[in-house]
Amino acid sequence: MTAVLLSVLALTLAAVALTRRRLLWGIAVLGVHSLVLAGLYFSLAAPDVALTEAAIGFGLVTFVYLLSIRRTGRIVVAAVECPGLLYPEGEGAVGLLWELLRELSTRTHRELELRWVERDEVQALLSTSEADLAAGDLIPSAAEAHFPEVEFLPTRIVRARLGPGPLGALRGSREAELLPKGGRLFPHRGALLSALERGELGGVVVNLLELRTMYLGGKLREAEVEPLEDTSFSVLFAPDEEELARTLEEVVAELRERGEWDDLVRRYL
Amino acid sequence: MRIAAVVGVLALLVGILLVGAFGLFPLGDSPDWEKLARAYGAENGVAAVVLGTRLYDTLLEVMVFALAMVGVRYTLTPLSRWKEPVVPERGVVREMADLLLPVVIVFSLYLAASGHLGPGGGFPAGAIAGSGLLLLAMAKGIERLSRELHEGTLELLEYGAIGGLLVLGVASGLFGVRGSGLLVLFNLLIGIEVTVGTWVVLHYFGSHRGEI
Amino acid sequence: MTASLSAATLGIVLVALGFGALLLRRSLIWKLLGLNVASGGAILFLVALSHRPGARPPLMGYPEGVPSADPLPQALVLTAIVIHFATLALSLAYAISLTERLHTQETGRLEEAAEEEMER
Repeated sequence: MTAVLLSVLALTLAAVALTRRRLLWGIAVLGVHSLVLAGLYFSLAAPDVALTEAAIGFGLVTFVYLLSIRRTGRIVVAAVECPGLLYPEGEGAVGLLWELLRELSTRTHRELELRWVERDEVQALLSTSEADLAAGDLIPSAAEAHFPEVEFLPTRIVRARLGPGPLGALRGSREAELLPKGGRLFPHRGALLSALERGELGGVVVNLLELRTMYLGGKLREAEVEPLEDTSFSVLFAPDEEELARTLEEVVAELRERGEWDDLVRRYL
Repeated sequence: MRIAAVVGVLALLVGILLVGAFGLFPLGDSPDWEKLARAYGAENGVAAVVLGTRLYDTLLEVMVFALAMVGVRYTLTPLSRWKEPVVPERGVVREMADLLLPVVIVFSLYLAASGHLGPGGGFPAGAIAGSGLLLLAMAKGIERLSRELHEGTLELLEYGAIGGLLVLGVASGLFGVRGSGLLVLFNLLIGIEVTVGTWVVLHYFGSHRGEI
Repeated sequence: MTASLSAATLGIVLVALGFGALLLRRSLIWKLLGLNVASGGAILFLVALSHRPGARPPLMGYPEGVPSADPLPQALVLTAIVIHFATLALSLAYAISLTERLHTQETGRLEEAAEEEMER
């Protein structure tokens, strides 16, 4: 009976471990799986094997994995889509930020893992450390001010008014905080644009890059544009990733020193 | 497509293995290993097999272990070391290390010395002693511990243990020597070898990472 | 009977599970984790083979007439666990040094990077 129960437990743990996304979780769950296997060996009248498995499979193997992932672990990026800065292409992305992130990955010997998210998910992902950093169409809002940040590109938040009606902005963004009373919030850019299309909105509060994209997309051609705040695009980091933030700062500083920065900005923006 | 192919292959594998496995059941009578174990001076059937009938198997596997450790050394040595200063752990870990380390060492010695009588033996003993070293490394900082342990002494210990095992194994086979004392000696030497190997892994992985 | 049979079945399923992860995952460390599970399954299968209904461990000092587990598969498995640890450490060392040189762990990109390096 014990053996059957332990078997089911061991199988579940192995399946859970191998289907995790984060390596750390996989390793931790696999350690517990090893311990359950040791119990199973014991119940199958093999105390020698159980002892060895508990000492080596549970203790040492787990530890060796943990020691090696620091060197080879991934950087999980919460990516907010933004043409010119970070835009999905194939398994990776294109854009100015993508070049920066690639340089960061090379320098830290850690692989990038992009997770495309909406603007309002960023804060939760960073504060739970589920993502190591967030990048893209990202100007830190007041609620996100406590995360380590690297500012890399100055921009401006503007109000573009087409006519009467409420203004719209993306939920969770700095733009939303600058929205006058009565404004409407949208979960992602698609919803904002279609509301604008349907004429439900009298205008939007956006940053210059988005304004340009919308302008090129044929909307807002007749809009009246008025600046609200001078600010800059940033990369936000999870609270315990200050070291990573410093490395990115170094990357940006070196690119500026070598004069490659302006080329990059010209190429993508 | 890819997933379907993999699932198909795995289903086939499971099918073949299950058919083979059910062919092996029901099992025969329990084997009579006690006479054999007594002949080797052991009360533990597993120890009698590992250090008796299949002694050379075990010795060569210890050599595989040592060879893998040489590989780890060789692969990780040219890589750059972590430059950040090593921060020693907080007081709790240090106090607990002081408290637990003697227990861990004694327990591993007990396992090695009583491996022929009950569950235990050189392999788990070595692994547990290695974990004790790990605890010490957490409390002291890995670089400091590795300075105190002297790479040269450890290498001498490692190759001495292997040499001792091989000489003892061959000699006991040639002259037909058997007995409990021999098994204890084997277990202790295997324990030393595994301890040093474990320390090599932890040290090299750790020092190329910066801290434990 | 049920204990050893269910454990043997689980062993086979674990081998398949680990093998599946080995084939489907693209990152080296995940592949090694899959191999870890498969190795555990193989060990479990052998241990289940050594077990008999109502058996005692292969130790002396039990009353007469109680069937005992077979010590031979257990002895084989004992060293297998240790060797698995040693080879795992070696393969992780290789994985670290590959990551260091080619800056990726994904097998597809590793091949590309290796080809590029060969051309150079």
